Amino acid sequence: MITEKFKKTILDELNLDDFDIQDETTADQVPGWDSLNHINVILAVEKAFDVHFKGIEVLKCKNIGDLQKLLNTKLDQK
Amino acid sequence: MPFNIDFSKLLQLFTYQEGDPLLFSTSFFIFFFFTLLLFYRLFAYKKNLRIFTLIIFSLFFYYKAAGEYFLILVVMTIVNYYAGQILGSLKEGTGKRRLLFIITLVVNLGLLGYFKYTNFFIRIINDISSGHIDALDIFLPIGISFYTFKGLSYVIDIYMGTFQPVKSFRDFSLYMFFFADLLIGPIDRAADMLPQIQSEINVPKENIGRGTYLIMAGLFKKIVIADFIGLNLVDRVFGDPTRYTGVENLLASYAYTLQLYCDFSGYTDMAIGVALLLGFNIMDNFNAPFKATSIADFWRRWHISLSSWLLDYLFAPLQMKLRKLRIYGNAIALFITFVAIGFWHGANWTFIFFGFLHGLYMAVSIFLKKPKTKIYNKLKLTNTKLLEFSQGFITFHLVVFSFIFFRAFSIQSGWDVVSQIFTFFKAGVFEQFVEAYPIIIILIFVGYLLHFLPEKLEKWTENFVVKMPIVVQALLLTAMILLVVQFKFAGLQPNIYFQF
Repeated sequence: MITEKFKKTILDELNLDDFDIQDETTADQVPGWDSLNHINVILAVEKAFDVHFKGIEVLKCKNIGDLQKLLNTKLDQK
Repeated sequence: MPFNIDFSKLLQLFTYQEGDPLLFSTSFFIFFFFTLLLFYRLFAYKKNLRIFTLIIFSLFFYYKAAGEYFLILVVMTIVNYYAGQILGSLKEGTGKRRLLFIITLVVNLGLLGYFKYTNFFIRIINDISSGHIDALDIFLPIGISFYTFKGLSYVIDIYMGTFQPVKSFRDFSLYMFFFADLLIGPIDRAADMLPQIQSEINVPKENIGRGTYLIMAGLFKKIVIADFIGLNLVDRVFGDPTRYTGVENLLASYAYTLQLYCDFSGYTDMAIGVALLLGFNIMDNFNAPFKATSIADFWRRWHISLSSWLLDYLFAPLQMKLRKLRIYGNAIALFITFVAIGFWHGANWTFIFFGFLHGLYMAVSIFLKKPKTKIYNKLKLTNTKLLEFSQGFITFHLVVFSFIFFRAFSIQSGWDVVSQIFTFFKAGVFEQFVEAYPIIIILIFVGYLLHFLPEKLEKWTENFVVKMPIVVQALLLTAMILLVVQFKFAGLQPNIYFQF
């Protein structure tokens, strides 16, 4: 499940008013989330939730649901 | 009277002949391919036989291209298959798994490095130390850059946990050996190919039509356009640029850009067409690259299988590592990725310089993005046709500039081309050139015109051919082969991309 705060962080970073984000949504389906902007989204999420991802953990994510799951495990470890 | 069969000539057909691979555009290939199709259809419902037929044909195809060095491909296949199996069985995060992964990378890149780059590094060492280490007599197995990357993507995906190792060595071998994409790509991914290998064969009529269309388009691009303007203009001017005026150097630069595209995308079209006739969808490699409105856009349209490979396996990890540097991190990661793209093309400074230029274009463009948007908004240019045209024009010329060095024998010779264009132009020569070589000018014009036609028109033509009865398609293909033969009188040119 995509949480509201997680979704808002992504949308704010990409200057989007609203966009339907589901577990299966992939980055390239979200307007503005291209390979260059990718890094800004990841940094924004890390900052908003005060977590740190390992590079390989992010690279393994196939969709936004995977990123949410990764974020949840980081939050659980805190 | 008994037939006089020259058995030694016949034997040559089946044995390795240096510099004479079974190119898709040769009559021998067509002969072998139709024989393959016959057996393939015969074994259509016998999966094992069908796959082994393809494996054996592919190995024969590669043996014809690389001789005994086809064993390198076999060794790499065995190494990557077993590495994949073991990586899949070891627990994630263990040191053992990491070590095995690193060893597999070193073996793959080591073999590629040895065959492709050893002598380049020996030259550099000689230059630095003014020493005299003799160059080694190393044979460069055709296609090694392509199949190394195919094997690597499989192993990396398994290590990352995004792909499960395939159980069948037979299926993995076909993925690695498959002759259609073996010599010059596209660099297909295991995740796309293996499910197709494992499923039942299915060749709908539409695929036969599309395959035939692509083979025709490929033959036309490669032989009528690329080979002809290559031989009759590009080779001459780039062979000694200072002997020609700026007009000729400029024409040769435009012509080479078109030649490279028609040569490489023409061969890819044929590869995709041949694969379609066998029931496989291999990935697209080009999408009207000169219609790009930025260099980033260009790389989403040019050699897509290579640029997406490096985006996934080099740029993305680098970018992650450097993310604290934000935009600077992106710029550095882009720069490194493009220099690597250049170096991948060959062990020569010209290719490194080509990559350096594209790295520079990309790195600079991300710093210019914000101010450019501001200016466009201020001048009310955003989303206008004028802006789109200017961006396309500038992008195209940045690409042509980089291809001058891609083609030149040395960086200095590339600068000679540029310098002739700017200091010794002689506009009047253009008229003389048109009079002397009308066919070349027409071919360049037709080549670019076909490229810049709206996509819809191309789709329409393709669908038109697809809907024809198979007999008419066969007749059209025969007509195309006859046309191609006319243009082939100058002899078949080796494919530009084979040297990589």
